[in-house]
Amino acid sequence: MHHLSLYFHFVKLRIRSQMEYRLSFVFDVCAQASISVIDFFMIALLFNRFKELAGWSLWEVGFLYGMIGICFAVAEMVGRGFDVFQRNIVRGDFDTVLIRPLGTFFQVFSHEFLLRRLGRIAQALVVFLIANSQLTVAWSLTKVGYLLISLVSGTCFFVGLFVIGATSCFWTVQSIEIINIFTNGGVFMGSYPFSIYRWWFRHFFTFIVPLACVNYFPSLFLLGKIRVSGASPIGVQLAPVAGFLFLGVTMLFWRWGVSHYQSTGH
Amino acid sequence: MKSLCLAFQVYLAFAKKSFQRRMQYRVANLAGLTTNFFFLLVHIFVYTAFYAARTAPQPLNLDEIITYFVLCQVSFMLMPFWGTRSEITGAIKDGSVALQLTKPVDFQAYWFADECGRAFYFLLMRGFPTFLISILFFKVTIPQQPTVLIVFTVSMLLAIFMSNAITITIFSSGFWTLDTTGISGMCYSIITLFSGMLVPIALWPEWLAHIARWLPFEGLIDIPFSIYLGKITGIAVWIAIGKQMVWNLFFIGLGRLFLTRGFSRLVIQGG
Repeated sequence: MHHLSLYFHFVKLRIRSQMEYRLSFVFDVCAQASISVIDFFMIALLFNRFKELAGWSLWEVGFLYGMIGICFAVAEMVGRGFDVFQRNIVRGDFDTVLIRPLGTFFQVFSHEFLLRRLGRIAQALVVFLIANSQLTVAWSLTKVGYLLISLVSGTCFFVGLFVIGATSCFWTVQSIEIINIFTNGGVFMGSYPFSIYRWWFRHFFTFIVPLACVNYFPSLFLLGKIRVSGASPIGVQLAPVAGFLFLGVTMLFWRWGVSHYQSTGH
Repeated sequence: MKSLCLAFQVYLAFAKKSFQRRMQYRVANLAGLTTNFFFLLVHIFVYTAFYAARTAPQPLNLDEIITYFVLCQVSFMLMPFWGTRSEITGAIKDGSVALQLTKPVDFQAYWFADECGRAFYFLLMRGFPTFLISILFFKVTIPQQPTVLIVFTVSMLLAIFMSNAITITIFSSGFWTLDTTGISGMCYSIITLFSGMLVPIALWPEWLAHIARWLPFEGLIDIPFSIYLGKITGIAVWIAIGKQMVWNLFFIGLGRLFLTRGFSRLVIQGG
């Protein structure tokens, strides 16, 4: 409980400091939104010409796109502390974190909050809502609950990726750029149905890096496409667990990384 | 003539320095290569799936699309924003621009040389490896006539120059706002859309393609690659290259205007 109130206190401070540069903030939110609008516009252009993609219509893909967009943008907003963690290591600021009477994970997590991702969240949400209005999804209480859990789980997945990136800094100092493949690249590839990818690609992004569990399997369930896709129904229903597990594993990795920390000194 | 030659040597030296500075980051480059290749792979999966469902002939066939995206990844880092880390804005922000201004060189030409060094670094270290690996794994078409290759090279050089000119123009807006993330973000979305980087303009609906033809940004990606694929031939090649030249001059002029105006109101930050 104490942690939670502390967290909201930190977030409030962060938001206040970001509001200091109001004009730049407004510009940024607009820029964020415009970048992602173009993203989806391009997908729509392709559908305008090709009509369908492996049995998926434009708005079914919009459903996929909206889900992963929301998860990633929220993860960027709350997980920013891990995303920019390398500068703490480079400057030796992590020493201060270690002497404070709070868990390191919590401190780094609550250290940043990127309010300007609101633009991206709004855009993804709009695409998701339009897609939903164009499709006839038989919403029930179970499905709404499943959707919410999936969104939280997907956010956990992306935060987990940021944690891996941050943890690697304990050894490499500079963050490993490779993680971009999974974050930005993950959003890009997750915007399309997984059935279009080759088996080795698909399996890697299901069992090792569970990207498919963020939006593809949940969408199969919510849109009633399980049978057509040939995926296992039980697997699909359990898919949202993956994000939480992934974050759990990365937290263990983080703990192990912290024990290997050597200060770069001041 | 002699002074011109000397000036050229000075700027060449700047370009070389910029090239060498980037040679330091070998591991980062390897990571970047992997990223380029990953995006290429996903693009190819997506287009293969789109083309599988469609039997009607398209303006570009699948092999040409693949080649198009290979070229996109080859020149990805040469485009505005990707390879630069807004060093111009950084210089304005922390005040080091004052030092640069004391040098007896033209500011725009200095940054232009710097950008050229960066472009050739990425062409050599990022572009060529991407191309070579792609040839091994995918069906990449290579033009047979030498004239096409020559014209493509010219067009590609113009594209790189224009990219540099645009970068300088956008980041020199930092003289007014100090923080250019917002502005460059918005320009970024317009440029990526209308350059044809995400979807080749040939596949666009007519009305939108028409807008793109009146904008400069197709000169960054779509014109050189269409020349490479042999989609622009005959007199149209000269028109396309003429267009690129005119827009080059436009952006160089605009950048110049921004810089001179900017200097007159420059307040040096920091100390």
